[in-house]
Amino acid sequence: MSAWTVEGLETSVDHFHLGPVDLELAPGRVVGVLGASGAGKTTLLRALAGFLGLSAGRIRRDGRDIAHLPPERRGLGYVPQGLGLFAHRTAERNVSYPLEVRGRTDARARAQELLERFGLSRLAHRYPARLSGGEAQRVALARALAAEPELIVWDEPSQSLDVEARHDLALVVQELKQAERVPVVFVTHDPGLAFATADDFLVLHDGRVQLHGDAGELLAQPPDPFAARFVGFDNVFDRDSLSSAGPGSLGDWLLARAGPAGVAFSRIPIGAAEGPWDGVVHGVRPTPEGFAVTVKVDTLWIELRLPTSYAGPAIAPGQHLRFAIRPESLRALGPWTPPP
Amino acid sequence: MNPGGVGPPTMRPKLGGTPWLVLQLVLAGSLLLLFLLPIYALFTYAPLSKIVEAFSDPGVDAALGLTFYASAITVLIAVVFAIPLGYLLARRRFPGRSVVEAIVALPVVIPHLLVGLGLFILLLPGSPAYRFTSWLGVPVYDTIWGVVLVMAFVSAPYTVLASDLSFRAVDDRVLEAARSLGAGPATAFLTVSFPLALRGIVAGLLLSWARAVSEIGGILILAYTVYPGGPYNGPVTSTISVFVYNLFQAGNLQGAAAVSSVFLVIAFALFLAVRLGERSGWVPWRRGDLLP
Repeated sequence: MSAWTVEGLETSVDHFHLGPVDLELAPGRVVGVLGASGAGKTTLLRALAGFLGLSAGRIRRDGRDIAHLPPERRGLGYVPQGLGLFAHRTAERNVSYPLEVRGRTDARARAQELLERFGLSRLAHRYPARLSGGEAQRVALARALAAEPELIVWDEPSQSLDVEARHDLALVVQELKQAERVPVVFVTHDPGLAFATADDFLVLHDGRVQLHGDAGELLAQPPDPFAARFVGFDNVFDRDSLSSAGPGSLGDWLLARAGPAGVAFSRIPIGAAEGPWDGVVHGVRPTPEGFAVTVKVDTLWIELRLPTSYAGPAIAPGQHLRFAIRPESLRALGPWTPPP
Repeated sequence: MNPGGVGPPTMRPKLGGTPWLVLQLVLAGSLLLLFLLPIYALFTYAPLSKIVEAFSDPGVDAALGLTFYASAITVLIAVVFAIPLGYLLARRRFPGRSVVEAIVALPVVIPHLLVGLGLFILLLPGSPAYRFTSWLGVPVYDTIWGVVLVMAFVSAPYTVLASDLSFRAVDDRVLEAARSLGAGPATAFLTVSFPLALRGIVAGLLLSWARAVSEIGGILILAYTVYPGGPYNGPVTSTISVFVYNLFQAGNLQGAAAVSSVFLVIAFALFLAVRLGERSGWVPWRRGDLLP
């Protein structure tokens, strides 16, 4: 399996500029690309796959620059958003396609092998229109693997999958990583899939890399509000939403502790029922850990947490709750600096 | 929240009560009658024996033969020239693209008698166009080439438009997947774009063919009578529309109706064959499988 290195990749689409992006993809390594809509995630994948020219930088496969090669000669399997299955071919003939275009005589047999491996044999003669989301996903992956790629580039693998299918997908990617040792770059909005499979994360914002690091680094310093929400912080504020607060308010207190991109913190446990901040309850909803309580303090919505064991008086909308925020639970959001 | 009201949502919105339904049925039924009654009148005006006779009449056979032959050449021209133009319009961005689209729509909107007149004047002896067709060895006045020229002019736009729409409907991401899986641009076109667009293209070709065989306006001017020559070596005749028109002009209404019935039977049979082919699956696409 090849090792891939992306150095200073830059590309432009209309007025959008992406880069510079640097990536290392050793065999078996999985990189999750994160970012809000319009951050440049799909642009990055299309540039890697050869559908967008580079304005600067290199894409090396085992040291050799392949940025000038057309998509069909890059040796990577690109699975676009929506999968790009061929509607006029059955599942089996989708999977055999890359072998057919290479003139391989064992195309059919090899396709059948792959279908069996992904538990799709009984669907071999179905057309994509009649596959479920999860089945279509596995057909697309089997088809990409049929081409024997040295890298899989996958745009939103878990898009339009139900919860069960997402879980299965995470297992499939983990297996892919271990059995095939093929490196994978994927774009995702699914934290479950990302944390279950990715070794590294690349966070993009407005075409620029905000963070390139492992899960620990991402959790320790989410570079922007999007990344903070992605990793699971329930209370995320950018500086703009805090700056209108008056002196002595919660907003002002948070602003003093915010990083350049804002501040984030998890749901605050209530129970001690005391603290300097006073919020009006707007909603209570059950969660696996107990209850999430949404309160409004001035203009800010804050999520609090009530353990299942809570035995105090009932909490109802309109009621006032007092709470405290420990400064050490706050995460300042801001640009990440690469380790030296 | 459900601002629309309480209760489970219904699968389909209600379209209204009985009076509204009756109105819809009356309007739809009137239009269907307009389509069907003239055809019914044609089939019933001439006695069956006359229709059967017309089937074996050498004059009718010659006219039908010429019409189908010329229309087949026209469809071939549409395949060779109109499909690539449709592809170009669908997949390439170039300056003046909307002008090209307007030009393609032109034959659909101008009266066909004017088409014949325009071609007639363009090809007047001594003109550059006349010298060019002579050099090619395809004289157009009163030959099958004249018929084909008019037919192509009036019918090819349907194939261009259908191809344009069909190629446009092929998702770029599907093509990108094909490229990434190892297909070069030509292979991706032949194995993915073209098969996915084929159904729409065939529908366009059928429309072109139907438009070609029903043409009369331009043919009346350019090739009223067709003499053997070029690819046509049958008897002196005319296209079926002109043939029926002549019978009508001569006051032979029964004859005109009988020949029209023969033509309709054959045209229906052809359409039916394509539809049945689609259902039986011998065509390289399946109903309903083209959209995800």
